[in-house]
Amino acid sequence: MLKLTLAIIAALTLAAPALRAQEEATPPLPHQSWSFEGPFGTFDRAALQRGFQVYDQVCSNCHAMSLLSYHDLSGIGFGENEIKAIAAQKQVTDGPNDQGDMYQRPGRASDHFVAPFPNDQASRAAHNGALPPDLSVIVYAREGGADYVYDLLTGFSDPPPGFKLRENMNYDKYFPGHQIAMPPPLSDDIVTYSDGTKATVAQEAHDVVTFLAWAADPHQEDRKRTGAKVIIFLLVMTGILYAAKRKIWAEVH
Amino acid sequence: MAETARPGPMDAHGPEGGTRRDFLSLAATAVAGIGAACAVWPLITSMNPASDTLAAGAPIDIDISGIQPGQQIIVLWRSRPIFIVHRTPDQIATLKADKDAGQLRDPNSSADQQGAYAKNVYRSIKPELLVLVGICTHLGCVPEFTPQPGSISPNWPGGYFCPCHGSRYDLAGRVFQNVPAPYNLPVPPYHFVSDTVIRIGENPPDSTFDFNSIEQI
Amino acid sequence: MAAPQSQSKVVEWIDHRLPIFTFMRHELHEYPTPKNLSYWWNFGSLAGIMLVIMILTGIFLAMEYTPNVDLAFDSVERIMRQVNYGWLIRYIHMNGASFFFIVTYIHIFRGLYYGSYKAPRELLWMLGVLILLTMMATAFMGYVLPWGQMSFWGATVITNLFSAIPVVGNDIVTWLWGGFAVANPTLNRFYALHYLLPFVILGIVGLHIMALHTHGSNNPLGIDRKGPQDSIPFHPYYTVKDAFGLGVFLIIFAVFVFYFPNLLGDPQNYIRANPLQTPPEIVPEWYFLPFYAMLRSVPDILFIKAKLAGVIAMFSSIFILFVLPWLDTSPVRSARFRPVYKWVFWLLVIDVLVLGYVGAHRPEGWYVFTGRVATLYYFIHFLVLIPLIGIFERPLPLPTSISAAVTKGGGKLAGAAARMEKP
Repeated sequence: MLKLTLAIIAALTLAAPALRAQEEATPPLPHQSWSFEGPFGTFDRAALQRGFQVYDQVCSNCHAMSLLSYHDLSGIGFGENEIKAIAAQKQVTDGPNDQGDMYQRPGRASDHFVAPFPNDQASRAAHNGALPPDLSVIVYAREGGADYVYDLLTGFSDPPPGFKLRENMNYDKYFPGHQIAMPPPLSDDIVTYSDGTKATVAQEAHDVVTFLAWAADPHQEDRKRTGAKVIIFLLVMTGILYAAKRKIWAEVH
Repeated sequence: MAETARPGPMDAHGPEGGTRRDFLSLAATAVAGIGAACAVWPLITSMNPASDTLAAGAPIDIDISGIQPGQQIIVLWRSRPIFIVHRTPDQIATLKADKDAGQLRDPNSSADQQGAYAKNVYRSIKPELLVLVGICTHLGCVPEFTPQPGSISPNWPGGYFCPCHGSRYDLAGRVFQNVPAPYNLPVPPYHFVSDTVIRIGENPPDSTFDFNSIEQI
Repeated sequence: MAAPQSQSKVVEWIDHRLPIFTFMRHELHEYPTPKNLSYWWNFGSLAGIMLVIMILTGIFLAMEYTPNVDLAFDSVERIMRQVNYGWLIRYIHMNGASFFFIVTYIHIFRGLYYGSYKAPRELLWMLGVLILLTMMATAFMGYVLPWGQMSFWGATVITNLFSAIPVVGNDIVTWLWGGFAVANPTLNRFYALHYLLPFVILGIVGLHIMALHTHGSNNPLGIDRKGPQDSIPFHPYYTVKDAFGLGVFLIIFAVFVFYFPNLLGDPQNYIRANPLQTPPEIVPEWYFLPFYAMLRSVPDILFIKAKLAGVIAMFSSIFILFVLPWLDTSPVRSARFRPVYKWVFWLLVIDVLVLGYVGAHRPEGWYVFTGRVATLYYFIHFLVLIPLIGIFERPLPLPTSISAAVTKGGGKLAGAAARMEKP
């Protein structure tokens, strides 16, 4: 049994970190403490809603989040009417109508988040050829996850002396290569939080990353809760099976 | 496989050991069975409508101001065709007489195909606006709108004709006798949010009509 | 599994016409199994159960997935977000692939250690290697389906390998792709085949178990059963032991599914496939890493270019397993009685782990050298060491019988004349 356990642990320990090579020359990511990390993590609903506000008012001008629908926002604590109101503020392209034309209409709960640009090419054209990535699963699509996104958002600074910054690029401590096309998106009080929280860059970054972490995997709270129940059940079941096994094998041993 | 194994523990019968063993085996089997059922449940329920399907089935608002008298428009709600008819005063006037002429299968809408607010001679909230689910209660084809009196047959008062098997309905969606369809066309939940906009999929505030409880879609 | 006289009339009626109940009783209930099997023998049943879990979750995922390049990624995310328990079914399927390989690899190494591939079980072993090959094909195609960056680029790299075949290579690749590159036709056919192959695996598993039941299981001592005193009926002894092992396994599996569902995966695959942008590193899933390392390790050999040599090495590493029963010259099965082979076996384990580690990194610096040494060792192990050790090793004396070894706690040892019996 010991050899078995060691073998499995060895295999997995070697496999997991070995899967991803080192990033080039970026400093180690400072770790933030997130309410949702760990097996018992949950989301702070207020932070989620503030984070959505930051996304909605700041990030969504360039970044799409097409995998989410407005009705999904019930997961961050918005009621049905709030969701309808949020959706109705957006204009959605629908159609064709009876004349064969596409037209704009107010959004509905069932619509996907309206993207700032109709396609990637339009987005690139507006951003000097750079494409702001869709943020729906960004926390899972980047090595370092939530920490990385937070550190990137708060890692903008002037380039160190001697660093050659290309045209239209910005220096970020944690972006691989340090040159990112996105200008620092957050600044103090760029949003006014409806719950009165002071909107510092750190607070905005914390809230929007909490929201993005939820958006990447909206069911993770449910997953962890269900996991606890499943594992407890399995422990009980395995215990009973072990007792049965010992009993049945008693004669043979 | 010529040899057989020596007798196993299940064949032995000892009072103390047997009962304890049986209990453990029973407990183990029961727990494993519960586990298996719980494991299969998510698979089964994954086939139920997903969140986005349910959201897409939410009520929709339709602007009826553009519908001319005598005209029908068809919209989709929950992937089903919904007939919306702006009935003319003439058509409204003949509704009662047609209902009582003795040719309808269910003239008083006694079968549960509509909410209480549509259980009247007009089968609608306002007489001039008819809202029906456009699916023939026989086998599901979409009936044709044939409002012109005398168009299908000499005594045709106006209504719907289903081309698949010949079922006929009047201008309130009530089914005629001697046709294959068994029920009146259903009235979906709807109400007026304003004089020019109806919301299909939502009852008026005081109604508890459950659309899932109707006899036949 | 009741005694015959208490069977119901219904059971008798069916059994008289289609003897499934007799069959089950014979194969499961009465089937004589060595009484000394250790927990290393649980992994076969675990692999079978993982196959069932993968098929079940796969079928329900297939109900929601769309195999089109524009819709695939979104359909998987829809499953994660909108479908009731879709996240659970997907995470089970995704991590289930890894765990299927874990139990299968352990099952294989068990066979290597205890000589389960030796006569009369050569065909049983070969069927197992065939299952492994089919699993690898299935897993490869399955990973393409989400159409992430790794899906696309992994498919591109691996299908491009076939162009190394002389003369017909490029035509084969075009035929595989159904076009000029990995694109929609490729995705569609991979989906069809990914749905099909698990049922092929199911069939081969059936043959595998039939072959097993012909001579029964091997055991840690590697000596044959001599009579009823050496065996016990499969049910209830090994049914309950397998069930307990399943419980332990499921706990570990559940920890991954519910708490670390993306640990064994690659973040790059959460980015939609982009044919115009190659990710900084193209890395397969962990269970392919040793083979990936071999593929990239081999340099030009004589007139064979490195690319073709690598492909040959990679496929040879599995085909070598087919002929293992004939490479191993030792008359003794179990490594317990083979002092030299025992150590060499662990060298192989370490070698495979090293290959896996190398496969995860760019072929630069010392990774190249290590990869080459490890690849070389793998082939030396099977082609040189195993035949030679079998000839020159002095095995420990074998016990007279299983029950003697087990009940006397160490066993009466026979003289040097004690050898494995050939059929």
